[in-house]
Amino acid sequence: MKISRKLYSYYLAWPALLIYSVFFVIPAIAGLYYSFTDWRLDRTAIKFIGWDNFERIFTDKTLLLAIKNTLIFAIATVIGKNLIGIALAVGLNMRLKTRNILRAIFYSPSILSILVISIVFTPMLRADGTINRILDAVGLHFLSQNWLTNPSVVIWTIALVSIWQQAGFQMAIYLAGLQSISKEYYEAATIDGAGAWRSFRSITLPLLLPALNINLMLTLIGGLKVFSEVFVLTGGGPGNSSQVVGTIILRSFGEGSWGLGTAVNTLLFAAVTVIAIPLLIFMRRKEVSE
Amino acid sequence: MNKTTRKASAVLLAGMMAVSLAACGSGNSKSDSSAASGNNSSGSGGNVKIELAISKSSQDSAFVQQDLLDAFEKETGIKVNLQLLPAEQTATVLQTKLAVDETPDIIQYNLASATTDLNLERNFEILDNEPWVSRILNKDVLSAYGHVYSFHVSQDTGMQGVVYNKDIFEQLGLSIPKNYDEFLAVCEKIKEAGITPVFMPYKDNWAANVWPAAAFADYADKNDPTLFDDINSNKKKWSDVPEFQTILQQQYDIYKKGYTNADILSDSYDMAVGKFLNKEVAMMFMGDWLIQDVVTKDPNMHLGLFPIPYTDDAKLGASPLGGQLFIPKKAKHMEEAKKFLDYIASKDVAQKIVNEQKYVSNLNDVQTPELPEYKQEIVDNYITPKKTVLTTDAYMLVDRSELYRLLQDEFAGGQDPKGVLSAWDDKFQQLMKDKGIEGF
Repeated sequence: MKISRKLYSYYLAWPALLIYSVFFVIPAIAGLYYSFTDWRLDRTAIKFIGWDNFERIFTDKTLLLAIKNTLIFAIATVIGKNLIGIALAVGLNMRLKTRNILRAIFYSPSILSILVISIVFTPMLRADGTINRILDAVGLHFLSQNWLTNPSVVIWTIALVSIWQQAGFQMAIYLAGLQSISKEYYEAATIDGAGAWRSFRSITLPLLLPALNINLMLTLIGGLKVFSEVFVLTGGGPGNSSQVVGTIILRSFGEGSWGLGTAVNTLLFAAVTVIAIPLLIFMRRKEVSE
Repeated sequence: MNKTTRKASAVLLAGMMAVSLAACGSGNSKSDSSAASGNNSSGSGGNVKIELAISKSSQDSAFVQQDLLDAFEKETGIKVNLQLLPAEQTATVLQTKLAVDETPDIIQYNLASATTDLNLERNFEILDNEPWVSRILNKDVLSAYGHVYSFHVSQDTGMQGVVYNKDIFEQLGLSIPKNYDEFLAVCEKIKEAGITPVFMPYKDNWAANVWPAAAFADYADKNDPTLFDDINSNKKKWSDVPEFQTILQQQYDIYKKGYTNADILSDSYDMAVGKFLNKEVAMMFMGDWLIQDVVTKDPNMHLGLFPIPYTDDAKLGASPLGGQLFIPKKAKHMEEAKKFLDYIASKDVAQKIVNEQKYVSNLNDVQTPELPEYKQEIVDNYITPKKTVLTTDAYMLVDRSELYRLLQDEFAGGQDPKGVLSAWDDKFQQLMKDKGIEGF
């Protein structure tokens, strides 16, 4: 510890802090200020209007729907990405001949641009698209859907696409976590007669908690901040039925209501903080050390 | 540092490495593109590149055809780079670009919408002193607030109604429907022949506005001439007019009765030309610009336009002239952008465009060509006998995209006509109030 302090002075952190303040802290504070103003496209003077923007947010039906959709998306993707991510990581931590190639395949969607993914998925998700045809062909006709145009299904469809894309990324982090678990534990457990499930529950899962925490945080925050998936797949449609907070912010800006847009953004920031920090503290307490 | 923290940091680092790798990928491509644009702007006499932003739905516009851009580059050394904006987001993207000073050098947009969406006066260059202005025949279609803000070689406003395939009508022995019942009968006959009667590309939600925009305007014109003034001064609401609900219900019923493409919310406007060329569809609620696009691709297609048949003897909808070119005040290559307008306005180039597009010329030294059959028909049957009416678009003072979303929502099953109109009333009130219109 002593040596490391001598080698790297704290001054080295200054450039990073400077960049962070200029691009994150200052805009965040400015945003907080603008969310209490009537800043608009067609107005030159900006007026302070107190809580008006926030009052409007909570009386706007579309916005309440967007909040609901955001929560659905966040919860569905947190569960989906992490369950599939862990399953993939555990599976691809075994000694398989095709292990490396499979890891690469499952990871690859996460490096694709969401735009590319939407171009691939949009025709597949049409009423006469590939997915419905496959469902029909295997006798699951009742599952056929207007995936992107049925208002009650659309947000789930977008969540599924997001899970498909990102689960591999979660897998990579879980794999990193799995690498750090010593083989000796499993050997000892096997000698004591523990089965696969028991080993997973009593060794893998507790020792994987640091990775789980990070993944939960990343997916939760990413889920609450969802924008691009919705934007490229449906643009918030049909009508407003797949609007999320992120697309509402864009819509407010589009209507020239910049003050309102920043207010929604401030609200999102507050919500992410209020949900994520207690969860982080709670999860950290649960971690065990080897 | 205890073990847990260390392990957590290790995992976090691994994660961050993965993230930064991904970030590096995109970072590279970004610096590539900035390097490229840097090269282009550095050589002042050499190759300058100007950016022209245009909605994807207008990509067939005469001003952005590759041979025109190539010829311009050959003559001036100025390369025109197209920014194709997604149809539904055009306004938003442009507003953002203008707000953050990331302005394109030229924008193609509709003058009427530019005044409501893009704050014309603040953001765009006044073009009164450009050399071509003295040759313009009809300055009104390019002007707002008493100044020329935009450029076009045509003065022909778009007409809106039902675009139909005359050959299919002839083959099936159909005539133009005079009212809604006749229209449904026509649809039934076409459907029986195995052709989709009406193409509704309502993934692009603005397309759902053509039927009501013309029908509302015709209703007001005949029954309540001050209606839009009353609505714009908050003396009346959209949902106060029961006929508006009927009009919306009619459009929905055409879909419900199975007279349209099946997946209307997945099909987009840019598929329309292909659908007509393949004779998959017989009709569509759209403007005559679509006919031009189809005929350009295949001169043997015979398409025509008739009024939205919501009632007896409806008039043809006339939209304000669209597709003008604008130069933002903050254009980085103002001079080159103006040169592009000069080039298009030059007699030979303009004549070529006017000939190809069959425009009614707006330049005094450019001849209007013989009009194509469909346009001559519109002139003879509707424009000369004054059977046209300006669509609601001409009266809207605020952003209409929420109305489009609500119309789309009607087809997704989320709203009934009454719901559409009262939800639009709420939004309209708010937007008008925000804009500071008297009475709200």
